[in-house]
Amino acid sequence: MATFTALQIGVYAIASVLYLGYLLGFRERSAQLGRLALALGVLLHFADIGARCLHGQNPISSTPEAMGFVGFLIAAGFLSASFRYRLAAAGAFAVPAVLALLVLARVVPAEPGAPAMDTLGRTHIFLATVGVAVFTLAAVLAVLYLIEDRQLKRKQFGQLIGRAGASLETLDRLAARCVSFGFPIFTFAVLTGAIWIARLGLLWGAAAMRPEYLLALATWAAFGVLLVARVGAGWQGRRAAWLTLGGFGGAMLVLVLYFLRHAA
Amino acid sequence: MQSLTDVIVLGVSHRTAPVAVREKLNVAEDQIELTLRRAVTLPGIREVALLCTCNRVEIYAVAADREAALRVLGADLALRASVAAAELEPHLYVRSDAEAVHHLFRVASSLDSLVVGEPQILGQVKTTHDQALRAGTAGAILNLCFSRAFRVARRVRRETAIARNPVSVSSVAIELARQVFGGFDGRRVLIVGAGKMSDLAARALQGQGAALIVTNRTAARADELAARMGCGTHPWGDLVGALAAADIVLASTGAQEPVLTRALVAKAQKLRRGRPLFLLDIAVPRDVEPSCAELEGIYLADIDDLQKVAASHRDGRRGEAEQAESIVEQELGRFIESFRGRQVGPTVSALRARVLSLAKAEAEKLVAGMPHLAERDRRAILDFADSVAKKLLHAPQMALKKDTSGDGIPLVTAVQRLFDLTVVEAVEDPGADTPGGERAEVGTTVLDGSVPSPQKKASGS
Repeated sequence: MATFTALQIGVYAIASVLYLGYLLGFRERSAQLGRLALALGVLLHFADIGARCLHGQNPISSTPEAMGFVGFLIAAGFLSASFRYRLAAAGAFAVPAVLALLVLARVVPAEPGAPAMDTLGRTHIFLATVGVAVFTLAAVLAVLYLIEDRQLKRKQFGQLIGRAGASLETLDRLAARCVSFGFPIFTFAVLTGAIWIARLGLLWGAAAMRPEYLLALATWAAFGVLLVARVGAGWQGRRAAWLTLGGFGGAMLVLVLYFLRHAA
Repeated sequence: MQSLTDVIVLGVSHRTAPVAVREKLNVAEDQIELTLRRAVTLPGIREVALLCTCNRVEIYAVAADREAALRVLGADLALRASVAAAELEPHLYVRSDAEAVHHLFRVASSLDSLVVGEPQILGQVKTTHDQALRAGTAGAILNLCFSRAFRVARRVRRETAIARNPVSVSSVAIELARQVFGGFDGRRVLIVGAGKMSDLAARALQGQGAALIVTNRTAARADELAARMGCGTHPWGDLVGALAAADIVLASTGAQEPVLTRALVAKAQKLRRGRPLFLLDIAVPRDVEPSCAELEGIYLADIDDLQKVAASHRDGRRGEAEQAESIVEQELGRFIESFRGRQVGPTVSALRARVLSLAKAEAEKLVAGMPHLAERDRRAILDFADSVAKKLLHAPQMALKKDTSGDGIPLVTAVQRLFDLTVVEAVEDPGADTPGGERAEVGTTVLDGSVPSPQKKASGS
């Protein structure tokens, strides 16, 4: 199992390096090879998750497993989108993120004393996992948007042309699509989470003030505002990108806090 | 120099001759096949093709006697252009054998072009080959050279970035707009001002599915431009409304003060609800107030920005050209090698046939003069001649098959010359390209190579 994990991490690392190389000015070939490595990584990762499921370590059985699964969803989502859109530059952000998630998930041991999961808990973790993965893709697109926008504004045209990345409008549209797809999922994640902790009797009293609960709500609100502003007020481009990043930052923080609490 | 392919090229190009000379040598397209059919009847010329573009006129020919062929073709060229041969002489360049093939490879790969890397030349070289095929003046050797040249050009395009980045102002403008919008299908392009500067970019955008609309201070001139472009007009008084509806603006008025002020653009942008707007300011003095670029969703490029990008791309192409040259060199080496290899077999059999038939003929003549000989003796004499000839042939045959040396005249050629052997039918290229395989690529970047000159406009306004 350990060598198999190392193999996955190695393949993702190679893909990261290739995508980063492309962003730093290597030839298009670098991105093509990166995608090949990523595809291999996704396959290995899929097989690994399948194998773990057989051993009872399914993606929602523990936090590390869920994180690994988030990584898989991001990788698979990016991979399939990259066939349709010219997103090679985004790979330099998305693939290292997957790598980091996978390393964290595999290096940190599963908590032995985890509370027994009921269906509600499992549903919550599953939805939150998928929601965070989709938001991660949106955030990667937003970062790319901001970089490209800045280069265009500063007239650093030379670096842009020939990179042949996706256009600003495409990036904006894809990010919006990710958010509107992820938001309902995340909404249910928050709802199931609230019910779950209420059942555990943690909703009232000191436990209710746990920062991750509030942060999760703030994250949900940020994406909600973003959706409404996009449709209602015609928000797009830079402002939308920043708000996406804000929401994503919140989601990450929730994950980290949750992770710290349970790993401690 | 190796004399191997018998290919020669002579011609003039933008490097050697002013347009005044080039235009005289130019052959109208409908005259080319006729010219080719006539040229192939000139003494010593076996195959011929004619490359005729606005930057070059070149004759590619195959002839055994190089010097004579060059004289004949040169004289013919001068005659056709009705200039004195002496007047043409200083502009004419001549290459033969491997150097001629090298030249063809470089031309097809756009390394000899005025704008290095421009994509049209490959299509033009293909047309040249097609015309020669139709006229029946392209034979085995030219076919081999041309089809290999296409392959080399494709490899250069694939492995170097020589043709990747646009180098003309209007194509740079379009690439920048593409960075914002992706495609132009259904995009609205507003042309502000009725100057000719924006024609090229506007037409290219139109060609990619964008809808044009013209606005101009003088309505009559707006109508005129709209008629030329086949599009509508928008009243000058409602510039804000026009901006609000547009995605891309091409500004090229002759106004002394900025026409698109920050206040105006900001007002329009409010109506646009943040949709991105690309302002391309190709006027001097500028039409767009520079601080417009600070507005949310507004992207601005002026003529200097565009020219700077174009210039940096030209520099980039020079770097890529070096890599392309080494690809061409390598391919030339391979070509010469395979060409030589193809000739060995047929040359050996031609040599054998020549020597054996000679020996047989002489022996038979001898035997015919000695009727007193017995049949057995006659046989012996014939066998003797045959066996001497075969023994003599053995060493040169072996040497021919082993010869891979690159220096000096290859043995194949030497033997062909020593024994006056003609070996043409040997040349068949199994790897020949199917004609027309490149069609889709050629001509997609129509803008390149036709660089609009903004200086002209600046001095004219």
